[in-house]
Amino acid sequence: MILEVTLNTLLVCGAALLVAVSIGVPLGVWLGARRFAGRSALVSVVNAGMGAPPVVVGLLVALLLWRHQPLGFLELMYTRTAMVLAQLLIALPLVTGITLAAVASLDEEWDLQVRTLGVPPLWRLWLLLREIRPGLLAAVIAGLGGILSEVGAVMLVGGNLEGETRVLTTAILMYASMGRFEQAVGLAAVLLGLMLLLAALLTTVQQVERR
Amino acid sequence: MSEARRPSLEACGLRVRRVSRRNCFELRVDALSLDPGELLAVIGPNGAGKTTLLQALAGLLPLEAGELRFADAQPPVLVFQRPIALVGSVAHNVRSALRGARLERAAVAARVTEALAHFGIAELAQRRAHGLSGGELRRLALARAFARRPSALLLDEPFEDLDRAAQDGLIDDLERVTRRAGLAVALVTHDLRRAVRVADRLAVLREGRLEQIGALDEVLQRPGSPRIARLVGMTNLLPGVARPAPSGLAVDVDGEHCIETRAPPGAFAPGAPVWAGLRPEHIKIDIGRGAGVPIGKGAVERVRSDGALCTVALRWSGHEIQAHLVAGRGLARTIAAGDGVLLSVRPEDVHVLPREA
Repeated sequence: MILEVTLNTLLVCGAALLVAVSIGVPLGVWLGARRFAGRSALVSVVNAGMGAPPVVVGLLVALLLWRHQPLGFLELMYTRTAMVLAQLLIALPLVTGITLAAVASLDEEWDLQVRTLGVPPLWRLWLLLREIRPGLLAAVIAGLGGILSEVGAVMLVGGNLEGETRVLTTAILMYASMGRFEQAVGLAAVLLGLMLLLAALLTTVQQVERR
Repeated sequence: MSEARRPSLEACGLRVRRVSRRNCFELRVDALSLDPGELLAVIGPNGAGKTTLLQALAGLLPLEAGELRFADAQPPVLVFQRPIALVGSVAHNVRSALRGARLERAAVAARVTEALAHFGIAELAQRRAHGLSGGELRRLALARAFARRPSALLLDEPFEDLDRAAQDGLIDDLERVTRRAGLAVALVTHDLRRAVRVADRLAVLREGRLEQIGALDEVLQRPGSPRIARLVGMTNLLPGVARPAPSGLAVDVDGEHCIETRAPPGAFAPGAPVWAGLRPEHIKIDIGRGAGVPIGKGAVERVRSDGALCTVALRWSGHEIQAHLVAGRGLARTIAAGDGVLLSVRPEDVHVLPREA
């Protein structure tokens, strides 16, 4: 049971993280490197998103996906896809915001200095990603941390269906409310282990950055 | 032969506008060219647009108007005042600059080795670039730019924040490498002494305009305006009126003191208000009789030495003027405030400028 729930958690969180990184990193680089009208409004949205309560995000997704709602025809409510969607909305601002901060912390003239060397655009992007590597890893870890420990949104849109949408956090909540503390503690230990693994990874990254 | 004489870099009718919330700055350069192997120093006060000029020449700024032409279609490379180090080794930094050059692996390796050796950092090739000292990073930035084989190198305050020894070493290496490679260099600096040391030509930039450009000696000895005169170290500007004299033209400072010049007699009408411009190093101070034509006695007010140069501030005909002596030698060892000295200057060293009455 624990294995199945853990794998399900990793599957849902992994998928959400993958999409969040694919969108958030390019978006963060773009927002960090370019100056255009409306940029600060977009940055404010990202910053607000970084602090948005997950349960509210879940409620928003649920309001879209419920039957008779705008996206109700997709029949995604109480599916893993709905959970991925909700977690994506939680992780995306985190990944974007931290990437943006990493790009913004580079020397103001970084892009000009690389451009003057005649480096082609794609190679320039690669050099930029190399330069902000510690920031990117921090963005990924923060995104994963944000969705791995989250319970409100996945409960709302996933419904904690056994073998389908049950993940570590929703399972802990369920077992605890049923008084089955042994199972709850076992699952909590697994979740805690995953989080500790993330913390260790983050510390390593920060140390590499400082060296 | 005509190929060899083609300028490395040419700018015609350049107009660049930089608008920020606080101000709007416009750079206008009608014509500027750099020949292979020549070193042009651009000086100017803060906010004159020196960095903007270099960025425009490097093609990094959108042009409102004008045209840039580079020899062999190789754009110049700009080395910024605070060069960045890319994550990775020193060699990786130079290699990265060659990504767009479509060279074979062996050619890239050869260029990296050559560029690092030229700037004396071959032994640092495998070091992390982020761990370099300020001087080493400057050398890396120059090697990185040089490896591109650009039409010209554009250097923004390349010797800033370096100690004297590091500056001297870098200037020597830069001169040797660029002269040997026939590479044109334009550098901006606010330090006239460094500009004088390396430049073939000197340009004076002010408020986005090139006020004067010419051979180094020409600009230093014959500045186009009192403002430029002060900027290029002609600190003694004495107001007077033009008088015909046997040598050509004299500047009558106060009826009693007259300075002979070699300016052509017809350059200024008799009685026209003018400035007599004198470089401090051209004023001879002597207890007895100095070389050149005496201009009268002066009283020493202050003596300051920086170890190499001794600056003597004198009161002469009611004006404060400055003269330079080589520190620690001859008169410089004994001269003190309160001394009365005889001043003289060679007429050919006096530069006459028009003055508004």
